[in-house]
Amino acid sequence: MRGLGVGLVYWSALQPLFGSGDAEVLELEPQTLWTKSWTSSRPCYRLNEALFDSIAVLPQPKLIHGVGQPLGGSVDDPLEYAPLLRQMLDRLNPAWVSEHLSFNRTRRQSGVSECGFLLPPAQTPAAVRVAAENIARYGRALGRPVAFETGVNYFRSAPADLRDGKFFAEVAETADCGILLDLHNLWCNERNGRQSVQSALLQLPLDRVWEIHFAGGRSLDGYWLDAHSGEIPPAILDVAAEIIPRLKNVGALIFEILPEHLETIGLDGVQRQLEALRQLWSLRTNTEILVRCPAARSMKPSAADIAQVRAWEIALMNALEGAPGESFKSDPGIGIMRRLISDFRSASLTRGMRFTITALLAALGAEQTELLLSTYLRSTAPDSFVAVESLHFARFLSRRPELIASIPYLAEVLRFEKALLSATLYGSTTELHWSTDPTLLLAELEVGRLPRHLPNTPSRMTIAQ
Amino acid sequence: MNRFDEVALNPQPLPPRVRVMVSHDVAFDLKKMQKVTASVLDRLGCAGCHSGHILDFLVIRDFVVNPKTLDVNEVMPGTGF
Repeated sequence: MRGLGVGLVYWSALQPLFGSGDAEVLELEPQTLWTKSWTSSRPCYRLNEALFDSIAVLPQPKLIHGVGQPLGGSVDDPLEYAPLLRQMLDRLNPAWVSEHLSFNRTRRQSGVSECGFLLPPAQTPAAVRVAAENIARYGRALGRPVAFETGVNYFRSAPADLRDGKFFAEVAETADCGILLDLHNLWCNERNGRQSVQSALLQLPLDRVWEIHFAGGRSLDGYWLDAHSGEIPPAILDVAAEIIPRLKNVGALIFEILPEHLETIGLDGVQRQLEALRQLWSLRTNTEILVRCPAARSMKPSAADIAQVRAWEIALMNALEGAPGESFKSDPGIGIMRRLISDFRSASLTRGMRFTITALLAALGAEQTELLLSTYLRSTAPDSFVAVESLHFARFLSRRPELIASIPYLAEVLRFEKALLSATLYGSTTELHWSTDPTLLLAELEVGRLPRHLPNTPSRMTIAQ
Repeated sequence: MNRFDEVALNPQPLPPRVRVMVSHDVAFDLKKMQKVTASVLDRLGCAGCHSGHILDFLVIRDFVVNPKTLDVNEVMPGTGF
């Protein structure tokens, strides 16, 4: 097949660049179009079909980049996802599908626990076999060639670990799959004290690189973060210029930026990144590339392999949750990862319960609100879906009637947002009673102000699916 | 309130659809309510690739509470943010 070109991970804010043709390839993170739903007999994922339709009709060739069922862990998603993903693949017909070589859940005695973040897997021969089997299963379920993304890792390397490049290479060779080379992730790893980019690239089987991700990041507490927050650092473009002529099968160069950071560089800035990628694209030596499903069967992991990988996952999760233990005790990466997870979960609550969070901040101030959020985060397991995390917080707040009664209008705002979440997740119907004009109240909250007294204009509202 | 007497705001134009219904005689701005509700419903899915730093709470915190004085920001009408 011919290489696809340069493109972007899709967000609606980037739509003009797909409309203009500046982005030649559209990469979709399919789970961003999914909600969790409990409206049928068992929990399931549900696709926003109309939004999906609006993306599917765009003329660019599509790639699918999963963010919900990473391939590096000991336990698969307990919710059925393959049929929905296949439905999307049938429509978009991507040349390959990619996912992260990470884990975001594990199995403990109490059942499957979500991590609330993509976490790096153990880098051992056992983890290679576990990941290779996951990749093979994922590819069979989807009927497409699979590439895994070379991940970011904020923890220190252990002496017994396979080095980053060696680990990626062994997974790719064992699974007989493709590699999505995320150069910004490798650069983060180098800047944060792990293997250098050059050294990692020397260990990779370069003919397996089907795609490259580019992004910008930012620093926090001495770490360089894979924040997808701006322009591609020049050092990464230099590395790409060196390596691309040696990649026989690279089929797409994709720039990633989160929509909340778009205003930092603007659409003009994104166009400049695409132009830089087009220059890199011209350095390829092959226009025809080979992307394929695995020819060989992967090596099955043993029960001992799975147990070893799971033990490492549980140790990492325990350390992140603050449980006492020797593992990771002196690793400063635990601190930064706790901060990232906490801010990620707080961001989810801000998205799903913007008006409630604003009312809390305006009434309690930053310190008390952060203390309240911290109590919630410690007491409640995370969920990567905004609606689920937000409904958990709504229930947490509902168990604090004195707090709610002490803040003007909080009870009404909370009931309103909780009703929207319940309708989305459970199909529930809720009747609300407003004491005042909700548009006046919400407009005040939108500008960061909690009103004390609004005119008394009672009304009723029903929220349903 | 009889369901047939209600106005459906349909804040989420794309399915899966959550409906918000109010009686005909409400005094508030239905279009504004529709916009506000849609803005919440639009962001309830999976948050996307997340291996970096997601800032939504920090942004809204500094929007509502002045980080220098820790005072709740008082916004004068018309100045906006």
